[in-house]
Amino acid sequence: MLGRGLKRKLSDYEENMAGLSSAFDSSRSLPYPLKRQLVLNMCLTKLQTYKMLVEPNLHRSVLIANTVRQIQEEMRQESNQQPVTICPGIAPASHSYTGLESPGIALQLPSGVGQQESHCCDLRSAEDPIENSLLIVSDDDMSSAISSILKDLDFVEDISPPTCLVPTGDDQPKFPENTGLKLEDDRQDLKGAECVFGSFEISNSTSYLKDLAIDDIFEDIDTSMYDSDFCCPPLMPPRSPSLATEEPLKTFPSCNSSSANNIQICRTDLSELDHIMEILVGS
Amino acid sequence: LQVPVLRPMDLMVEATPRRVFANAHTYHINSISVNSDYETYMSADDLRINLWNFEITNQSFNIVDIKPANMEELTEVITAAEFHPHHCNTFVYSSSKGTIRLCDMRTAALCDRHAKFFEEPEDPSNRSFFSEIISSISDVKFSHSGRYIMTRDYLTVKVWDLNMENRPIETYQVHDYLRSKLCSLYENDCIFDKFECVWNGSDSVIMTGSYNNFFRMFDRNTKRDVTLEASRENSKPRAILKPRKVCVGGKRRKDEISVDSLDFSKKILHTAWHPSENIIAVAATNNLYIFQDKVN
Repeated sequence: MLGRGLKRKLSDYEENMAGLSSAFDSSRSLPYPLKRQLVLNMCLTKLQTYKMLVEPNLHRSVLIANTVRQIQEEMRQESNQQPVTICPGIAPASHSYTGLESPGIALQLPSGVGQQESHCCDLRSAEDPIENSLLIVSDDDMSSAISSILKDLDFVEDISPPTCLVPTGDDQPKFPENTGLKLEDDRQDLKGAECVFGSFEISNSTSYLKDLAIDDIFEDIDTSMYDSDFCCPPLMPPRSPSLATEEPLKTFPSCNSSSANNIQICRTDLSELDHIMEILVGS
Repeated sequence: LQVPVLRPMDLMVEATPRRVFANAHTYHINSISVNSDYETYMSADDLRINLWNFEITNQSFNIVDIKPANMEELTEVITAAEFHPHHCNTFVYSSSKGTIRLCDMRTAALCDRHAKFFEEPEDPSNRSFFSEIISSISDVKFSHSGRYIMTRDYLTVKVWDLNMENRPIETYQVHDYLRSKLCSLYENDCIFDKFECVWNGSDSVIMTGSYNNFFRMFDRNTKRDVTLEASRENSKPRAILKPRKVCVGGKRRKDEISVDSLDFSKKILHTAWHPSENIIAVAATNNLYIFQDKVN
């Protein structure tokens, strides 16, 4: 890490990141995907940190969000050129996670300033192709059904309502709750209202996902690196979009790896999901 | 009954606000600029620019608003704004994407459409993950003549001719040796430091700050540049400042400083140049330095 030219031991996460960024700067042999992943991690960590601030910096958040979007766009374009590769335990450095013909988890991530709110989703999509692989291989019929459902619907990251931010009227920058960065091509049309953070909940109609033993799927994912302050909030019913712009900035809830077993998925059109499930299961 | 007696005291300086112009900004204010009519001024935040009359504190006109209807579409913010030194209807504002817009208030009440748009095409050979971040303009200043504008981004200072929108006429590297350290500078947030830049009275020299208490001056005519240090440890009062040099790689000469020894906590963000004399003010951490030309 640049500073006063002193050597320090790498003893905790922060110093690990400093070591990594130094490695990024100095090493020519670091493979490009790894460098890109490192930058993406740093961006997401920063966005998470900024969200915790009482007065988040809009300028920085926008710059970082643009950087994340640019990286993910690049990854997406690369994956579109790749054939399907399905093998569990792929190292995060490979970007085959998006190279699935019937994409696993079609995650919708926030664009613009709301980027930080999708941190959880982002992490898994960016970090763990394993989860997608596991989804694919765990149960062929069910997984392909889920794949197509997830592909057709807009999945939006959700978080529970803010816990500690106190907006002070006009002084607070108004961040969006809506999330819109799309990993997949076919996610242009947000069905119905855009997802408002903290407004989705697992309803009864999603019980088929519970039947899937989601815990098993996510068990192997190592999210210890992102253990800090994350938790996966419950999904709640969508609020109307007119409320979205009035909402104050929401903090990102804390998350730990055990609760990472819950699915971070919102569906914007639950009735359509019901309908599709009836077709698949009813026969 | 005692007659009041005048007693000499030490000078006490107390700053009190004479007027407060409140409640017009929702986001962080980054610039204020007094108009050449000396009756109005503008204030700019991340998304809006407001025009004020000095005498009216409870009302302002919004002259620029780039807030999108849907905040998730936001990809660009306003970073700095300034009025033209002579034309009271003209101002410029810079953005986080490295662009400058020149606006004329006579064309519309809300200056959403720019009269001119300054942007340099990106150099593909310098492309990196951090390209957009380092292109964000931290300061924009009209020359005293009003013919040029100068912009500061993370690594360079650029001079633009108002009549040429597609690229700057001059580009000066402030500390290009940091280009290979961008990831570390991103990690410690230094990459977001907002450096200012200033013109001298005759618009022949420009000055901006850097790290390690260094500041840089560029002579636009001779194309010479110098790096100086504002620090008490390394110079005595009234001593002539010794030029500094940062060593990029290879052998380090005796007086040179290597990039890895630079102290990134000692940053000079704010400098000022007297409008007609060769006297400069440099803010270094919690010290203010005033330098002047050698007095014979």
